[in-house]
Amino acid sequence: MLKIDHLYFSYNNVKNLLTDINFTLNDGEYISIIGSNGSGKSTLIRLILKLIEPTDGTINNTFKNMAYVPQRFNQLNIHFPITVREVLASYKKVRHNGCQDISEVLNLLNLKEKEQTLIGQLSGGQCQKVFIARALLGNPDLLVLDEPSNGIDVKSRDEIYELLANLNKSKKMSIICVEHNLQAAVKNSTLLYHIKKGHGHMCLPERYAQEYIKNDLGDIKC
Amino acid sequence: MLEYSFMQNAFLISFFIAALCPVIGMFLVLRRYSMMGDTLSHASLAGISIGMLANQNPVLSSFIVVSMFSIIIEWLRKHFRTYAELILVIVLSLSIGIAITLLSSGLVHANIDSLMFGSILTVTKSDFYWVLFFSVISLFLVYRYYAELMFIVFDEEGAVIAGANVKLINYLFAVLVAATISISIRIVGILVISSLIALPIAASLQLEKSFKQTLWYGILFSYIDIFSGIVLSYWLDAAPGGIIAINSVILLLIVLFYKHKIRSNKKRIIQE
Ligand SMILES: Nc1ncnc2c1ncn2[C@@H]1O[C@H](COP(=O)(O)OP(=O)(O)O)[C@@H](O)[C@H]1O
Ligand SMILES: [Mg+2]
Repeated sequence: MLKIDHLYFSYNNVKNLLTDINFTLNDGEYISIIGSNGSGKSTLIRLILKLIEPTDGTINNTFKNMAYVPQRFNQLNIHFPITVREVLASYKKVRHNGCQDISEVLNLLNLKEKEQTLIGQLSGGQCQKVFIARALLGNPDLLVLDEPSNGIDVKSRDEIYELLANLNKSKKMSIICVEHNLQAAVKNSTLLYHIKKGHGHMCLPERYAQEYIKNDLGDIKC
Repeated sequence: MLEYSFMQNAFLISFFIAALCPVIGMFLVLRRYSMMGDTLSHASLAGISIGMLANQNPVLSSFIVVSMFSIIIEWLRKHFRTYAELILVIVLSLSIGIAITLLSSGLVHANIDSLMFGSILTVTKSDFYWVLFFSVISLFLVYRYYAELMFIVFDEEGAVIAGANVKLINYLFAVLVAATISISIRIVGILVISSLIALPIAASLQLEKSFKQTLWYGILFSYIDIFSGIVLSYWLDAAPGGIIAINSVILLLIVLFYKHKIRSNKKRIIQE
């Protein structure tokens, strides 16, 4: 379970980016975080992953094994000399306990024949799938993704969402996903969390689809 | 040539530094920190002068001083992320200041030429033992933490989340850089060390291979650069540093040319 209470966060140059954030993620839930660019979605994720400390408030996290699929795969240095296999093998080595087989994860994501390919020679969608594969290697109980479908081809996008829905349903994996893709958010997640001007509110996907969209569509790209 | 004991020492030492420099260089280059070699080589000049003042072996005194500066750079890197090059300039100024003051005041007497340009005549057996000591430990540590180091240069944040002790490994790496520079100075000289760290890797990166293969090609290129440099410097009676630097640029150009040729050949085949 993840419980956030009265969370505040400011960067040095951006004051009160997040103000009084409250939400609870129960085991097995799939939350999509939505909001306009610069509203602080990635920052909230970084707080949850303990990469940065809240200015105020508490984050109570009972998940033992978090994994993260970063947003910035598209700003990756495409000349970095590393193969898909090396990305996964180094993760496995660093985690050194209870990791899955690399080939199994690669099969799951249809990346088997890309094993020896350099990261920079993959398409955007394949590259995103490599980061998802890396995250899944350690059998996480909480999977955190930052805009997984941003800038990738339709086929990979569909594969990724099918996989996420499957992991959530059959393996009861908890998922937090920052989402640009409103359709996917409404379709897959159990809850939506909308951040706007520092404040957040939770809503059910169906209700969001019906009501909220009408007033707020300009705020969100979908 | 090999009958001279100084040549034997030079070859023995080169055998180790030729492996260590590109290994450390690989991680520095990929971190966009190749100029660190330059800064720290100047710190080693300060270290050598202080060592002479205290009557210590120059490799050891240089290692201690350079490690200190290297750790300070790593610490500042966290705090001045946006001004990374500025940190290098600050440390460079401080160390060159210390070195010039000590060397020009007459407190210590050193052969500046051999420090700057490298020398094969002045290396001693005791230098060799220090080189052996530091390079075996350094190579072992890189081997031991290879996955962590590769992960950190590729994705530092991801490494933190995966549970690697990123801070500790970064500081450890800072010390490894210091060791590499301190042992290489004697042969290649202060002015050339950063090209030895960066250029073999710059050449091997052109081949677009996996991380491991890039590293091995870097080591191969480094061996070619250094050994041909030492042999030529013996024949030409010139400082090894200069020749090694020229060789590494020539090798890089050859690789670039070769790559270009393969590319255009491929294009022609596709067109036909
Ligand atoms: N490390 C940082 N230091 C200072 N400001 C930052 C940092 N990261 C993000 N910001 C700023 O905080 C705001 C929110 O960023 P972010 O959380 O990435 O938004 P989102 O993911 O919703 O697009 C932006 O205005 C951004 O410029
Ligand atoms: Mg973001």
